[in-house]
This record gives sequence, structure tokens and C-alpha cells, in this order.
Amino acid sequence: MSKLRLSPPLIALLLAVALFFLGGLLAPGFVNLAQAINIIRLSAFLGIISAGQTLVIISGGEGIDLSIGAIVTLSAILVFRIVDGQNSMVLPALAVALLAGTAFGALNGLGVTALGVPPLVMTLGMAGVVQGSILVLTQGQLVGKTAPIMPKLISHPLILGVPGVVVIWGLVGLGMWLLLERTVYGKRLFAVGVNRTTSRLSGVRVPRTVLLTYALSGLLSALGGFMLLGFTQSVFLNLGERYLFPSVAAVVVGGTVLAGGKGSYWGTMSGALVLTLIGSLLTAVQLPEAARQIILGATLLVLLSAYGRQRSLRQ
Amino acid sequence: MNVSLSARNIVKHFGGVTALSDGNLDVSSGTVVALLGANGSGKSTLAKIITGVLEPDGGGIELDGRPVRFTSPQAAMQQGIAAVYQELSLIPDMTVTENIWLGHEPLRWGVRVNRRVLLQRTEALLDLFRGAFQPTLEPDAPVASLPPDEKQIVEILKAISREPRLMILDEATASLDSRQVQRLFELMTTWKQQGMALVFVSHRMDEIFRVADQAVVLRNGATAGALPMADASERKLVSLMVGVEARSPATVVGAETVQRRAETSARIRLATRDLAADRLHEVNFTVHDGELVGLGGLRGQGQEELLLALFGAIPFHGKIILDDEPVHFAHPRDAMERGVAYVPGERAAQGLLLIRSILENLQLPSWARYGAILDMREARSDAQRISDDLSLVMASLDAPVESLSGGNAQKVVLGKWLLREPTLLLLNDPTKGVDVGTKAEFYQKLTELRNDGAAILFYSSDDDELLGLCDRVLVMQDGHIRAELQGDDLTRANLVAASMGAPQENQAQPNHAQSDVQEAA
Repeated sequence: MSKLRLSPPLIALLLAVALFFLGGLLAPGFVNLAQAINIIRLSAFLGIISAGQTLVIISGGEGIDLSIGAIVTLSAILVFRIVDGQNSMVLPALAVALLAGTAFGALNGLGVTALGVPPLVMTLGMAGVVQGSILVLTQGQLVGKTAPIMPKLISHPLILGVPGVVVIWGLVGLGMWLLLERTVYGKRLFAVGVNRTTSRLSGVRVPRTVLLTYALSGLLSALGGFMLLGFTQSVFLNLGERYLFPSVAAVVVGGTVLAGGKGSYWGTMSGALVLTLIGSLLTAVQLPEAARQIILGATLLVLLSAYGRQRSLRQ
Repeated sequence: MNVSLSARNIVKHFGGVTALSDGNLDVSSGTVVALLGANGSGKSTLAKIITGVLEPDGGGIELDGRPVRFTSPQAAMQQGIAAVYQELSLIPDMTVTENIWLGHEPLRWGVRVNRRVLLQRTEALLDLFRGAFQPTLEPDAPVASLPPDEKQIVEILKAISREPRLMILDEATASLDSRQVQRLFELMTTWKQQGMALVFVSHRMDEIFRVADQAVVLRNGATAGALPMADASERKLVSLMVGVEARSPATVVGAETVQRRAETSARIRLATRDLAADRLHEVNFTVHDGELVGLGGLRGQGQEELLLALFGAIPFHGKIILDDEPVHFAHPRDAMERGVAYVPGERAAQGLLLIRSILENLQLPSWARYGAILDMREARSDAQRISDDLSLVMASLDAPVESLSGGNAQKVVLGKWLLREPTLLLLNDPTKGVDVGTKAEFYQKLTELRNDGAAILFYSSDDDELLGLCDRVLVMQDGHIRAELQGDDLTRANLVAASMGAPQENQAQPNHAQSDVQEAA
């Protein structure tokens, strides 16, 4: 067994690098530092939004969080409204948004554990509830304003030309690695994802772990919404929705197993890079939207079947 | 409908294990043959070969004097052979009627008969047991809504709906109440008079004497005897099941590793009072410090439920007294924190995280000890110590558990609890499918733990282990403790007799468990 085994996260990372240089061949001027930083910046939004999805999918039991898009939107709209152009309101607004995201996530977790609702159904229903709450909250009028400090901290270059969101993404990555690999929660999360009977008979309180996971997913989605607002600086009712499918795709491309119990966040980070690169590349060669969708979907299928082959070869 | 079946010299291997080496059974119209044997004697295997579920590796079956070879249960059914199993073959989401007629829906002119006719036929079948079940058992009732006894009745009706010439009932009475058993026996007598041949597998000695005409006794995969019930006594059947050559228990384990402790220290680690759960009825017993107590009996007699209740993994009634203090564990975690450990029976499904590393499997119950940010170095060195201690054969601590052999995987299951130094260790048939060498290491480890003062409750389906390893054995049947054997009473014959509900050769002294509980309370 060599040290550098071709694991799915590594495949995804290598693919991202390859795609970047392929971009240089297809579209002159694609390969340069500014472009690289821009790609990473774009990936950071998807990457942060996919962090919660990674946890939920690792937790197994057909775990998936389809309310991520709605919570991203809710968070952005809450911050937009509360901040209303004042720098001093940024932190309180962030706190409210994170709290709201955590609360809706915890409700998902309660439905899945206490009521036994399948995660797909529970989180899809919750997406509807959150969207409805947004309408009630805003009465259809999206009033508010971002604070000047937000784009400065998030999308503009912060340190040595690196945008704040990339720094934050790095911190999220470090935090997720610690959470998954160096905390009791992380060890229990993988255990619960692999086998709930074994976990329970080894003293793990399975429902508690699962509930915490969905709550964390809500929290991280809300953080993603805050970041996204700092980038777009405006809100609309389906702001987060277009990140829902890519959030699942990024996790899976990064080698996290949909059945649960196996995966990593650095895989998801690589997955976010791959997806963003494919998107940018197809835009750069000026393919129509329909063709982009087809190529994106086909790439996912090829990657996933390759991972599947790898597993069956091993056995 | 005359029928005669004769199975001769049947051989069946599973991998390297010989389940049957010389199975013989004869049955013909108008007789009920009881098939008896201890755990692992091959009675289920023989029954499954006759019904076409398994194909024999050797020997032959003759039906009505002609050799036959069944390649599937369907093939056996076409010859009029049907079976009723204890593990139910019903589909929960379908109705009683749909289940009974599944696969042989009555046809008229090549199309299914209409619903009304089908319901009438189902009613007619239900009439056989009328009065012995609740009115909620109707042709349209979904099977999932039925209690276990009524499911068993449906299972019997499903077999009889095929109008078999030969019917095998494998532990079919286990979940029936006495009235239902009585009705079944009346029906069996009727069917017998109509010319059916019946094979009856039961773990209840009294039932065998009530209903059987002949007995076939299996021992270690071979037919040890066949005799008419008129000539049989409980003593005779038990001695056929046990055999005369009874190996000395010590040879099984390795004499130097096991010294049975003459006396146990007085302190009671565990006592129960009227402990009851699903399939477990008012169980009273005690386990002392430094005592290795065996749980015996045939499989599925409540041993697993008893261990799970003690570990807080299933709901229960009654009292559990641990270290002189009543406890009521609602979750395995509560039990774990009080020094209780449980090694489950199905290690892949209940004991291991197959795709995760050995390290993570060993540390799963114990991570919380290593701080908010886990001290991996310490966790790893602790895991290394335990795996050295158990002489675990592995590539590294980071290798997935699925890469280990069965014996080494089972060591991981034990090892994760040894890391916590349990004071009460519950084991559910831990050596099943484990190689001989590892078994010996396992016995040695258990003996060490016992000598260090741990209380151990050890269920085994292998009588040799109970005889060779345990200080005292509680024999269970139908969720009750039927006997408590120790000292000179702990013999193979007594184990087998108690597991079948028959009296022992020299009756053990009255059960001390009750008085021990009084002291503990």
C-alpha cells in the first residue's frame, strides 16, 4: 500500500488542477494568478455552503439536507434587513442569521430522529417552510442594504490579494477537519453513519448525534448565506436555491459516500473547486446553458462511476 | 394419499464445517416423527434438505421408493412437501389471504379466482383454528398488525393450503399459547389419520411425548437413534442426544488455562428480581465478583433478551441490582458508565464498524476520555496496548476492520470493552464462527478477567464451552431459567435435559437466586 493512494478526494483535486490548465488551452488568458484566485473565491461560497451537507451525508441513514438552499436565502435576507447599511449591525445580524439557521436545522434533526421522517422528505418539507417564512417575514418586499464593511471583508482582496472569503474558507476547512477527525462528535458521526446498531451498543446516543448534525448543517448554511450576501450585495428569493444541487454534487465528487460513514471535508473542498472550474470553463468557451448542464451532469456520472469501480476493484 | 420418505446418510458441509455427517430419517403416512437434538446437532439442516432449501453434499432421499433430488423448495412442494418455520416467511405488508395464497393463487380457467372465493377459502382455513385466536385475525388483516402467535398460525395455514402429503413443523409451537398448541395437536392427529406424514421439531420434551409416534435423535450431525415413542423415556432420549463418549470438558479449553474456582467471593455484583422483557419472563439470578456464569439452553430462548435488558438496550420490567444498588438503564451508555460491557452475537452487524479502522473500532466507546480536542497519541497508544494484549494480527491500527479474519475481528469487539476495564461483562455467543486457536485465547482472557475479579455472564450455544469454562450455568427455556447447574450437577446430560424442559438426572439443589436477591436488596 503506497502512501499516496489515489483516493477520491485526491482524484478530485488532481482533476481540478487538470481542468484549470485545460482552461488555458481552450481559452487563452485563463491560466494566471488572478484567475486562480477568482476561481478559488467562487468555489469558497459553494464550499462553505456544502460543509453542512458533508456532515449530513456522512451521518448516513439516507441523510441529505435539501433545505440548505432555503436557509442560505433566509440568512442572506435576515442579514440584509437587519444590517441595513450599518457596519455596527453586521455582527448582531450574523448572530441572528446563524441562530435561525441552527433552529431550522435542529427542527430537521428532530423530524428525522424523533418522528422518523425520511431525511429527503423532512428537509424538502423544511425548505418549503423556510421559503414560506421568508415570504411572511418580507411581505414580498426585500428591503435593506449591506454594510460597506461586508464586501471589504468577504469578496475584495484582504491579505496579499487573497479575498476574505478564501481566508474564511480556509478556517472553515481547518475547523471541519478538527471537528471530523479530532473531536468525540466527529468519531461518533462516522460511527453512526456506518452502523447505528453497533454505535448504540457501543454507548453512542445515536439520535443526539444525528440531531446535532442537522443543526450544524443549518448553522453552516446560514454562514454560507452571510458570505454569499457579501459577494452579491443584493438578495432575491431564490438566491440559495441554485446552490442546492451543487452542494450535494460537491460532497459526492469529493468522495464522501452517499450511504454514509465515510468521507472528508477536504474532499468536498476539492469537489467545489471541480464544479466551479467546470462551470467557468464552459462559460469561457461560450457554450449555451443547455450544453453546460449536459456536460456538468455527464462529468458527475463519469466521476461517480469511476469511484464505484475503484471500490469494487478493491474488494 | 400414501407417502413415505426416507433420507439416507445425508452429508452437508458449510465451508469447512460439517453440519451433517450421517443424517437418517424415515417417515411415512399416518405418523408424526419428532426430530430431536442439541444445538448444532444438524436438525434444522436435515429439515431444510428434506424441503429442498438446501442441497445435500452426499447421501440420498427416496420418496415413495424412488430417488429424488430437490433443487429448490418449489420442487419439494410439487411433490407435496411443505414446511412451517419459526423464522416466519410471511410478507408483513400483505394481508393474511395474500400471504396464504402467495405463489399458488387458485385459478379457474387459467385466471385467478375472484376475491370472494379466495376469502371463502381463507375463512375455511381460519376455521381450523377458530376460537384459538382474536377476532382481529381476519382474511383482510395485514400480517404486520398480527401478534406473533397469530402470525405463526397464518404460517401453518399457508403450508396446509398447499395440501401437502408431508409437512415439517420446525419449532412451530414456540410462539403459540397452550390452547393454540392443543388445537394444533388435534389438527395434526386429524391430518395424520387422513394419511399425512409429519415431522415435528420441538425443544419441548412434553410436546414430543404428547404428539409424536416416533423419535429420531441427532447428535453431532449424525442420527444417533430412531425409536418408537412407546419405547422412549425422557432419560433415554437425553442420553441419545448426549452420547456416552462425553469428552472431558477440560480438553476443549486447554487444561492449564482454566482452573475452576472452588469458591466465589461473597460479594454480589449483579442480581435481578423478576426481570422481564419481550420473550423473557420473571428471571431471578445473581452473579458474584470473580464468577463466570454461563447461560445455556437452545438458541433463542431469551438469552439474548436477558443480556440486552441488563445492558439497557431493550425496555424491561423488574429490578436490576448492580453493586447493591437498584439501577434502571435506559440506554447502553448508562450501563457502560457503570462498568457494564456487552459483546454482541452478530459481530459484523452489531459489534463492528466494518469500513472504519481498528483504532476507531477499539476506541468507539471511549473517545470522551481523550479531551475536547482528542489526544490521538494517547488514544493510539492505549489501542496499541490492548491489541498487543490480545495479540491481534493486523497490518496496522489504521487498517479497516473488514480486513481482519473472523477471530481477530471478534478480538476487536472484546478489546473495545477491555479498554474500559468492565466490572460486569456480558457476552452473547462470542466464539461463534471463530477459529479454534482464537477460541483458546478467548477462554484464557475470560479466565484472566474472572480471576481479576470481573463478573462475567456468558451465553454460549456450545455446551462444551459452558461445561469447560463456567463456574455455574443457568439453563434457559422459553424465557425462563429452568435450571441452575454447578459442581457435580454441571453435566452434559443435565444441560441437555434442562434445555428441553425435562427433569435432570440428579436434581440440582433448590435455586439460591431468590435468597441472594433478598440479601442484596
